[in-house]
Amino acid sequence: MLDDQKSMERVMADEDTKITAKGVDVFYGDTHAIKSVDVNIQNRAVTAFIGPSGCGKSTFLRCINRMNDTIDICRVTGDIHLDGQDIYARDVDPVQLRARVGMVFQKPNPFPKSIYDNVSYGPKIHGLAKNKAELDEIVEKSLRRAAIWDEVKDRLDAPGTGLSGGQQQRLCIGRAIATAPEVLLMDEPCSALDPIATAQVEELIDELRQDFTVVIVTHSMQQAARVSQKTAFFHLGNLVEYGETDKIFTNPEDPRTESYITGRIG
Amino acid sequence: MFGLTFLAVFALSALFYALARNKAAVLGGDTPRILHSRPNYHGFLAFLLSAIAGILVLLVVWVLWGAWIESRFIASILDAQPDLSPIEVELALSDARALSEGGIASRTDALREQVAREISGQTALHHYGTMILSLVAAAAAGLWCLRASHVGWRARNRSETIIRRLLALMAVIAVATTAGIVLSLIFETLNFFNNIDWQVHKFLFGTTWSPLSGVQEGKLDPDKVGAIPLFAGTLLITVIAMLVATPIGLFAAIYLSDFASAGVRAWAKPMLEILAGIPTVVYGFFAAITLAPFLRNTGESVGLSIASESALAAGVVMGIMIIPFISSLSDDVINAVPQSLRDGSYGLGATKAETIRQVVLPAALPGIVSAVLLGISRAVGETMIVVMAAGQGANLTANPLEAVTTVTVQIVMLITGDTEASTAAGPAFTLGFTLFCMTLLMNVVAQRIVRKYRELYD
Ligand SMILES: Nc1ncnc2c1ncn2[C@@H]1O[C@H](COP(=O)(O)OP(=O)(O)O)[C@@H](O)[C@H]1O
Ligand SMILES: [Mg+2]
Repeated sequence: MLDDQKSMERVMADEDTKITAKGVDVFYGDTHAIKSVDVNIQNRAVTAFIGPSGCGKSTFLRCINRMNDTIDICRVTGDIHLDGQDIYARDVDPVQLRARVGMVFQKPNPFPKSIYDNVSYGPKIHGLAKNKAELDEIVEKSLRRAAIWDEVKDRLDAPGTGLSGGQQQRLCIGRAIATAPEVLLMDEPCSALDPIATAQVEELIDELRQDFTVVIVTHSMQQAARVSQKTAFFHLGNLVEYGETDKIFTNPEDPRTESYITGRIG
Repeated sequence: MFGLTFLAVFALSALFYALARNKAAVLGGDTPRILHSRPNYHGFLAFLLSAIAGILVLLVVWVLWGAWIESRFIASILDAQPDLSPIEVELALSDARALSEGGIASRTDALREQVAREISGQTALHHYGTMILSLVAAAAAGLWCLRASHVGWRARNRSETIIRRLLALMAVIAVATTAGIVLSLIFETLNFFNNIDWQVHKFLFGTTWSPLSGVQEGKLDPDKVGAIPLFAGTLLITVIAMLVATPIGLFAAIYLSDFASAGVRAWAKPMLEILAGIPTVVYGFFAAITLAPFLRNTGESVGLSIASESALAAGVVMGIMIIPFISSLSDDVINAVPQSLRDGSYGLGATKAETIRQVVLPAALPGIVSAVLLGISRAVGETMIVVMAAGQGANLTANPLEAVTTVTVQIVMLITGDTEASTAAGPAFTLGFTLFCMTLLMNVVAQRIVRKYRELYD
């Protein structure tokens, strides 16, 4: 009876878990930036990483799509599994992985190309469209999904760099969506935006969880509380506490979490 | 003597600096805040006023007095021998100068010795007189400033105004020099066109270049000043040079900025910069002594006849010379493409090659284009390599294996040849002016492009 229940729980957990990390350590040269982190990230939910700056949130986020591979001095050890597959296995090509795990950066970084070319860049590289009509469709769908289609549909040939900051960030989200990823990583996506643009992007993130597993790094606890279902609190490279967002914010277990949430460390 | 006076004026001004500063310090006493300007500025203003007054008087008096003395000598020479030609008067005067300084004259006679004695007397007066006048002026200005200063003395504002004017003066000198050079180029060019009876089209479109062979009584033969072979030669060599320099320079830059490890970059970049530091004359004899014979021998072994001076040799070596230029400028613009764009591309699953080709290079393209344009203007203006390796015969040919000549080579030939300067200068200046216009145009275009590129990211 007890055994049955346990195995039931495991099956449930497996179905619900998109990403599993076990004993992940990250070093920049001699700096030990992430210390033995274990975490299970839930499928089709928004998970927020919070913590004081420099605690390793971005570093851990970048492990999930192996962006740290582009930094020479960075070394990652431990296991990270996506749908049960080890993403640091030898036969995994980071280029293919990144098509499945999209990323949105802190500062909007549209390419100095047209809006259309920004969005079609990923699909073209990965050969997702057989012809122009399909490509057009992908572009339109992605921009609609990123809640920016109505604002740009008449000027798809205009440079993406000419949009406002909030529009640029939604364009970058659309660009990431266009490669049909399963996971979207967002590293402080609103920190360069004004409050209105932030509200728009937050609303968008909430919708995105229907189709994607979203992991968002944020320095704003209100934002974490607003958009996420799960929250992970990092401190000095350690994952201090991880759980339901409501619980973390109302009833944290670790004293460090509590002092951070009440504003005593940070 | 001039230098000594200069130093003396400076020493005097420095003295006034100390005096004025001291006075201000005393005025301020225990409550230095009551001074409008800090004591340093009091001193600085006194220094500036005194130095400027002294140096101004020095320059003006030195020149005017000198000119006046000279006219007196000439008058006395003409008094003694009224029928001397102006050149003979000059000669007598310079002989007398030499004698008065104990040097060697071309001829010694009573007249020259008498003028030499006059010069000795006058020169001492001239020198010491100027010195005293300058020092008096410097002292007067310094004393005036010292007396005028008081607690509310606006020394800071005044000295800043003076400095601003001095800076403006320097800017004017720089601009005026450039303008003067351009104007004299234009003037000589018009002169030359006048010389060929305004048949400008024969210069611009004629195909025979042999300007000094048709000279009659200082008049050039318009049919022999066709500059097309020179432009064609310049174009041919520039094209060869850019065909060598652009791909090598650009790919080297891409490798260095995006592929090379920090270790490789640390020694490869300085190496390239050393390449840029090699004097062009070294490239020139490298082309003439090493590459040209090598090309000719290689050509012979496959049955090609390559002239010992060929456009190919000069162009290839010139291309090597331009490589560091293109690679370091391109490297700069490629590095200036923000890392966030690269990250954005990697984050979408692009490979390094895709990222460079589709994101980095398009973003850096304007900068690369302007690097290439600047490289071209270097190539067009380059002289040493072509003088040594390309030849002097004004051949009109598109065959890179033959000798050609360029605009710059012909300017060198005209100016250093033994034809009378007044005849040779016309075509030389005109070629120079044409070259100037071409380079200017390219630099302007290049800068426009660079500016546009900057706007893209800001
Ligand atoms: N590229 C890098 N090279 C060296 N050290 C780095 C690099 N990126 C981050 N770090 C270090 O790793 C630690 C965690 O940084 P980061 O993940 O950016 O923190 P967060 O995103 O939480 O503010 C910091 O101590 C930081 O100095
Ligand atoms: Mg961060």
